[in-house]
Amino acid sequence: MKSTQYSDKVLDHFRNPRNVGEIEDADGVGKVGNPVCGDLMWIYIKVGKNDKGEEIIDDIKFKTFGCGSAVSTSSMVTEMAKGMTLDKAYEISRQDVAEELDGLPPIKMHCSNLAADALKAAIDNYRTGATPEIEIATSCQLDVRVILGVDEFVGKGVYKEIPKNLEELRDKRIVVSDSGDESLELAIKLTEYTGRVIVVTSAKSIPGTVELRKKLKHSDIKILQQSEIIEIKGELDEVEKIVIHDFDEDEQYELFVDAVILLDYRG
Amino acid sequence: MSIYLDNQAAKPVDKRVVTEMLDYFNDKFANPASLHCDGDIATDILEKARKTVASFVNAPNSSDIIFTSGATESNNLALIGAANFYKRKGNHIIISEIEHISILNIAKYLEKEGFKVSRVPVDRFGIVRVDKLEKLITDKTILVSISMASNEVGSLQPIEEISKITSERKILFHSDAVASESVIPIDVQKVPIDLISLSANDVYGPRGVGALYIKKGVRLNPIIIGGGQERGFRSGSENIPGIVGFAKATEILKQEMESEAKRLKILRDRLIKQVLETIPKSHLNGHPEKRLPNNAHFRFDYIEGESLILTLKEHNIAAATGSACSSKTLEASHTLIAMGLLHEEAHGSLLISLGRTTQEKDIDKLLEILPDAVKRLRKLSPLTPPDLLKEYNEVKE
Repeated sequence: MKSTQYSDKVLDHFRNPRNVGEIEDADGVGKVGNPVCGDLMWIYIKVGKNDKGEEIIDDIKFKTFGCGSAVSTSSMVTEMAKGMTLDKAYEISRQDVAEELDGLPPIKMHCSNLAADALKAAIDNYRTGATPEIEIATSCQLDVRVILGVDEFVGKGVYKEIPKNLEELRDKRIVVSDSGDESLELAIKLTEYTGRVIVVTSAKSIPGTVELRKKLKHSDIKILQQSEIIEIKGELDEVEKIVIHDFDEDEQYELFVDAVILLDYRG
Repeated sequence: MSIYLDNQAAKPVDKRVVTEMLDYFNDKFANPASLHCDGDIATDILEKARKTVASFVNAPNSSDIIFTSGATESNNLALIGAANFYKRKGNHIIISEIEHISILNIAKYLEKEGFKVSRVPVDRFGIVRVDKLEKLITDKTILVSISMASNEVGSLQPIEEISKITSERKILFHSDAVASESVIPIDVQKVPIDLISLSANDVYGPRGVGALYIKKGVRLNPIIIGGGQERGFRSGSENIPGIVGFAKATEILKQEMESEAKRLKILRDRLIKQVLETIPKSHLNGHPEKRLPNNAHFRFDYIEGESLILTLKEHNIAAATGSACSSKTLEASHTLIAMGLLHEEAHGSLLISLGRTTQEKDIDKLLEILPDAVKRLRKLSPLTPPDLLKEYNEVKE
């Protein structure tokens, strides 16, 4: 899918959003947003009970400030959650919302798809009974990011923790997502096993402590600054390519790789 | 005449070949199809040439060789001919991500015609992943086409392994041998391949001639229809002078290939060693050992390949960057991208391909010019990091 191309379903929800508005005597309010990316999303829920006595979402409304996919995902998540038990609604993931909308352009996955988070925040708010506050995601690149395909390729080239036997990465093309010094140290270590290590970092300059920066500079590691991985692809049940978003140039491109290391990935 | 280090793009015709060809433009000019004596003589000449080229690949029968107008035509005949003949058996074709542009574009054409094409990925050295190739095979697969070596980075492909798989699975195996035929011997009786594309120019013969080796029993639909020459596989009156030149070129090369490949490898190894030693942030693309003995493919961080070629041109050195076509399409080489290089890295590449005319002094000259050429461009480049610039400036003082 092109970065600017939306599915018919996304466009439908954008043109005719469902459940827009506020609930004045709401039981829970979830407010999330990301001032950097320009998306703010508020979700209101009214909690009731079903026949079995389980707590369900009786009514739900939203208000969103943001781009097309931000509006559509909010609309979709309210439609999905309405009538659901709280427990089930709490499980709705960003991926579920995107899938329900027949997919989102990869570039829109990470910044705009806050709807599931807002719903969770509303349920949390109801359960804890606290006053709702805007939960501000610290950065577009780190906390809100979702990398498409991660779950599909864990064990097939995607590593969420340091591989026990680095030997299995010999001569591979390895991409390490910068999640702090541990990941950078691993990248440096990996140069003993292969000639091709790439570090993807959201930082504007070479990341790490003074000592690590020095080591990185003198290594053959390729550092992609102001970049993030947005998708992992592969046809043969194995990682083959990643899609990288360069947010300085605001462009996306593919890169052929064999292994992707995401030490701090929670998406 | 410049220092010519672009033998992957074109090779000079051997003078012995030119001499051999001259007779066949006016003294012995007849058409082999004619029934008169002159025609008979032409037939003999044609069949003798066929036998010589057949022995170049150790084909069991001389009739296994079909002459064409060049390797592009051979590739077209092999892929389109096989696809159309065997389409009732299946519609799936496998090529690699790093094939020559002619194979890539034929594959695209076949896709439009309704065939399904899979492209096998390569590793970071530009070598086809046989494990992945095997996984791509389905019961609809009719043809696998993988070149003997990458025409850009020179990586030698696992042809023997692939041929084992294709023989077992009873799938046709085609290989484009153009990049390797001057330095790597072909023996179809040792490594079973069904179809091999050859070019006369790449064995120091004339351009406009090529051949397709077709294993006995393999059927193809012709793509050029006419008088039924070349056993109906390829119509059109045979290019006798060209074919004679092609045969002569293979005859010479058969004698000289082994020693020549050794000679080129020594020159090439020295070039690689010294470039990597003397130029900071320089890299060798492709495999350090499993590569054509006449190929060196570098990349230099922070600079762009075309400006490097222009700089070398000023010093009368002829070389190539990225792919031979890169200057036309302005696209980074598909081979380098498939190997996992970033666009900016692919653009900073330099292909040096050695050949029969390459002498030690040519390599010396290149080694003298290249470090300064790279340095000059790096000083202009906004990407060059300050400490490298500082290093450069200090050396100058």
